[in-house]
Amino acid sequence: MNAATNSPITTSNEARIGVVLCECGHKIAPKVDLELLTQELKENTGAALVEIIPFPCLSPGLDDIRRLIAANQINRLVVAGCEPRIMLKKFEKELLDAGLDQGQIDVVNIRDYVASVNDGSPADLAGKSAKLVKSAVAGLEALVLTPKTKVEFNGPVMILGGGIATFAAAQELLRHEVDTIIAVQTEEIEDEIRMLHERYPGERESHDRLMKIMQEVDESPFIKIISVGELEKVLGRVGDYTVTFAAEGDHPPRIYQVGAIIAALDGEMQNQGSDFGHDGVKVLCHTEIEEQIWLHGAPTHRIVFWINDLETARPYAYLSAKTAWNIARHIKEHCVQAQVAILYNNKIKPPLSAAERVKARDLKIDWIPYDGEIRPTVQMGYVTYNDPDDQIEREISWDQLVLSPKRYPGLEQIKVAEILGLHVKEGEFLKRNPQMVRPEQVGLDEKFMAGSARQPCDLRETLRQGHRAAQKAVEIAQLAKAGELYAPRMVCTVDRSKCIGCGLCREICDCGGIEPVEGLGGNIPRSVDPMVCTGGGTCAAACPYHALTLQNNSTAQREARVVTLARSLTENECMGFGCNWGGAAAADHAGIKGLKYSDRFYLLPAGCIGQLDPAVIGRAFMEGANGVLLIGCPPEECHHSYGLDHTWSRVLMIKKLLSLVGIDRQRISLAHTDLNNPGQYVKTVESFVSLMDKLGPISRDDDMKARLKAVYDTLNNARVRWVLGASLRRPWETAYPTDQRNAIACDVTLSDVLTEEFVRTEIVNFMRDQRKVFELKEIVQSLKEEKQQVLDCLKELVGEGIITRIFKDRTPYYTLQ
Amino acid sequence: MSDNKEKTDGLVSLVIDGQPVQAKEDWTVLETARHNHIHIPTLCYHEAVQANGGCRLCVVEAKEGNWSKIVVSCLYPVKEGLQISTSTAKVNNVRRWILEMLLAECPASKEIRTLAEAYGVNSTRFKIDRPTEQCLLCGLCVRVCEEVVGVRAISFGSRGVNKQVATPYMVPNNACVACGSCVTVCPTGAMQARLNMVRGNVSERTGHGHAH
Repeated sequence: MNAATNSPITTSNEARIGVVLCECGHKIAPKVDLELLTQELKENTGAALVEIIPFPCLSPGLDDIRRLIAANQINRLVVAGCEPRIMLKKFEKELLDAGLDQGQIDVVNIRDYVASVNDGSPADLAGKSAKLVKSAVAGLEALVLTPKTKVEFNGPVMILGGGIATFAAAQELLRHEVDTIIAVQTEEIEDEIRMLHERYPGERESHDRLMKIMQEVDESPFIKIISVGELEKVLGRVGDYTVTFAAEGDHPPRIYQVGAIIAALDGEMQNQGSDFGHDGVKVLCHTEIEEQIWLHGAPTHRIVFWINDLETARPYAYLSAKTAWNIARHIKEHCVQAQVAILYNNKIKPPLSAAERVKARDLKIDWIPYDGEIRPTVQMGYVTYNDPDDQIEREISWDQLVLSPKRYPGLEQIKVAEILGLHVKEGEFLKRNPQMVRPEQVGLDEKFMAGSARQPCDLRETLRQGHRAAQKAVEIAQLAKAGELYAPRMVCTVDRSKCIGCGLCREICDCGGIEPVEGLGGNIPRSVDPMVCTGGGTCAAACPYHALTLQNNSTAQREARVVTLARSLTENECMGFGCNWGGAAAADHAGIKGLKYSDRFYLLPAGCIGQLDPAVIGRAFMEGANGVLLIGCPPEECHHSYGLDHTWSRVLMIKKLLSLVGIDRQRISLAHTDLNNPGQYVKTVESFVSLMDKLGPISRDDDMKARLKAVYDTLNNARVRWVLGASLRRPWETAYPTDQRNAIACDVTLSDVLTEEFVRTEIVNFMRDQRKVFELKEIVQSLKEEKQQVLDCLKELVGEGIITRIFKDRTPYYTLQ
Repeated sequence: MSDNKEKTDGLVSLVIDGQPVQAKEDWTVLETARHNHIHIPTLCYHEAVQANGGCRLCVVEAKEGNWSKIVVSCLYPVKEGLQISTSTAKVNNVRRWILEMLLAECPASKEIRTLAEAYGVNSTRFKIDRPTEQCLLCGLCVRVCEEVVGVRAISFGSRGVNKQVATPYMVPNNACVACGSCVTVCPTGAMQARLNMVRGNVSERTGHGHAH
C-alpha cells in the first residue's frame, strides 16, 4: 500500500520507563506507603525513574513530569493514581509535546483499586499497589512502538449513488475547492427535478433551493460530472480507493482512483397494497397525488390523507404526516374550494409548529385524530374511525383517499451499499449501528453516507446529510493536503506473512476496518484500513494465526502484564480483568463510593473484554494464577463488536480445557457488571474470592505445570482458535454453526477438537522436553491420558511428519523429528 | 520536588498559609496550594476538566499589600507577593454560607451533609423545595461529557430556580455512549441516580443483531 508512509516520530524502541506516584491529596498518600512503594519499584523493576508527585495531573505536577521526562529521556510513563477512563486523555494531551504519544502512557488506578477499597496497613497496600504498577511497567516494556502512519489522499472525492444529496455534498466540496467527481446515470438536471416527487413528494418548497444548488454545482470548475454504468466494485482504503464501473454499450469499464467516497442514496417508496383499497385512482399514495397535482393542478374535491404507517407496522408516521401536511397545504393554497383533512393515529403528534397550527386553521385543513387501538375501515367514499375523545365511531367522507407510502431502501441502493462493503440486513435501512464508544475511538464512517436510504427523511434532511458527509470528506482532504492526516495509534495491523486470508476477522468485527478483497477472498491476505478501525481488538484476539495485532495495545503487552502479575500473586490471591465499559468502570465507582472489599483481588483494566486473547488467560494459569475473573458489560451491551460474546465462548472453552487438566472449571469465570452498580461489582468479587478460598490453590507439581503449559499452547493452536472464532453462538441464538441442529452435538464437536489438540500438544511438549525415544505405554503413563486417544494422536502426528516412528523388535517407538 | 533553589524566569513567589512557595505564572492558587500539600475543599473542580468556579467552595482570602479579598482559588492565578490564607474566619464564613445553601439545594446528598458538618453546619435556614435532590448543579458531568468524552449527551435544562442537569427533551440521548464518566466525576450520588435517564436502554442501542 503506497498510502502508508512512515514518519520518524520515535526512533528507538528501547524502553525507558518512568513511574510517577500520585498522592491525590489524602486519598492515596497516607493509606498507601508511597515511600515503600517507591523503594520496591526502584529495586524490582526496570523503571528508569520513580517519583512521588502530590498531584501529577495539575499544572505543577505536569510541569514536574515534563522536566523529569526531559532529564531522564523517559519514553514511557506509568502514572499510579486514579481512573484512566477519566484522566488518561489529559495526560496524553499534556505530554504529547514532551514526546509521549497515545500508548506510551498508562494510568494505574491505585486509588480506587487499592487505597479506597482495602483496609490494610500502608505497607500492605503498598505491596498490593506494587504488584499492579509492576504489571503496568511490564506492559509498557513489551510495547513495540509503531511509528505514526501518515495517510495520503490520492485523487478527488467521488460522489456516487445518484441520490439527491449528491448536490448538497458537491456544493460543500466546491466551496472548499476540493476536486470532486460526480458519478451519475443521467446528467440532466431537469430530469432530476422532474423525478424528485417519486422519492420526496410534497417538497415543492425546497425545489428552488435545490435548483440553485444544482446550478452552482453545474457551473463549478471543481466538479466533474460523469455519466457511468453500474457500480461494479470498490476496493482500497480511506485516501486510496479504486472504483470500477461496469462496461456500458461501447464504453469499456471505467476505473477511477479516488481519495474518499460519498454515497448519496435515496430510499424508495412503494404504494400500499389492496388491503387499504389502494387502486391508484381513488385511493392513492403520496407519490401519486403529487404526480396528479404536477400534471393536472390541485384537485377541487374532498381529499382525506390517512397517515396509516402505524397500521402497516412502519415507524415513519411522523415523516408521512409532514409530507401529507405539505401536500395538503399546497392544495389549499392553490384551490380554495378543495376540502382537505388529515386523519392521524392519536399515538403520534401532528408535526406542526405553532405557526403551522395557525396556518392549518386559516387554510381549514382539519387534523383529525383517531383512536389507534381500533383500526379504521375504508369504505367506498368513507373512512370509519373511532373518535378517541368520546369513543364514538365516526365517518369521514372523501373523493380521494391518500395513504402513506411504504418506504424501503431500494434494491439499487442496497446493491451499491453492498459493493461499498456495508453490512446490509434484509429489509433494513442502511443506517449503521455505530459502535458505542467515544468519538475519538470511532474511525471514520468507512464511506460517507447521505440520503433517505440511510433512514427515511425529507429533502431538507437529505441535503443536510449531504453537506455533513461532505464536511467530513473535506476535513480529511484538507488534513491530507497539509500532510497532517495520521491514522490513530491504537488500531489493528495485519502481518501479511502470517495471514492466510480466511476472513474470520471480517466476520467477527463489523467496524468495517478489515478491507474488502476482490472475489470470494480465499487466500488473499487482508489489510486493515487504519482510519476506520476502532481498536476494539476482538478480531486480533480471535485470529487463528496471530496475524492481527492491535498496535500499541497488543496481546503481547497484555500477556506481559499477566505474567508479571500472576507470578507475584500469593496462593490465596486471584486476579481479573474488567472492561472499561463495565467491570473496570464499576470498580472505579466502588472506589469512589468507598465500598470495601477483599484486598486479595487484583483487577487489570482492558479496553474491551473481547481484547483478551484466550491464550493470555491460559498464560495467567500457567504463571501462577489460581483463579481468573473476567468482568464485562451486561449481556447484549458490548460497546464494541461482540467482544463480550466472544469472551463468553472463550471462557467456555477454557473451562473445558481446565476439565481436561483436572482442575475446577470455576477457576475461570465470566461476570457481568453494570458500571452504575458498584455494589454488584463488590458482590461479584467477594463471591469469586470466597470461591477461590474454598477451592484452594492449584497444586503445581511438574505434571500440573506441563498440563497448564499444554493448555496455553492449545489456546495458541490455529485449529482450536479457528473453531472457536467460527463457531460463536450466543446464548440466546437458536441457530447452530454449520449443519448442527442440537446444542449438545455442537458442544461435543468443540470438545472433541479441544481434547484432540490438547493431547497432541501434551505429547509434543512432553517429547520436546525429554529428547529421547519413547514407547507408547511410557507416553500414556507419563501423560495419564487414555491410551486410544494417545495412540490416535500419535498416528496423526506421525502422518503429519511431526513425530517419527521407528520399530525395534516389532515394537513401535516414537520420537520428535 | 518544587523546592529547588535556582530561581528561573517565569517563577513567582507567594505565601500560602504562611508557607512561602514558588509557582509558575500560569498556575492557579488551588494548583499551587495542592502541589504544596495545602488542602482547599472543592466540589465543582475536577482535574480532568477546565475549572469553572461554580460552587465557590474553594474560596480563599488573597492579600495584596493592604488589600484583601475573597477569591475562588480554582480560577485565581498566582501573582508575585500574593498572600493567601485558606481558612480564615472570613473564608470559613463564606464556605458555611455556601454549605447552608447547598443543604437546601441538595438535601438528600450524604456527601454534602458530611462536608457541611465538618464546617459546623447542621441545618439550613433556606427553604427546601426538593427534599430528594442530590444534585448541586456543579456541572462537572456536563463538562466531562463534552471535554473528556467528546459528546454532549447531558446539559443544563431550564433556567434559574428550575435549572437542572438533563438531556434534551428529558429523553434518553442517543449521543450518550454510556461510559459512566459523569457518574465518576459527580461529587454526590446525583448522577448515579439519573444515569439511566441519560443512557436509556443500552442493549437496544448496542444491539448489532446477530453475530456473523
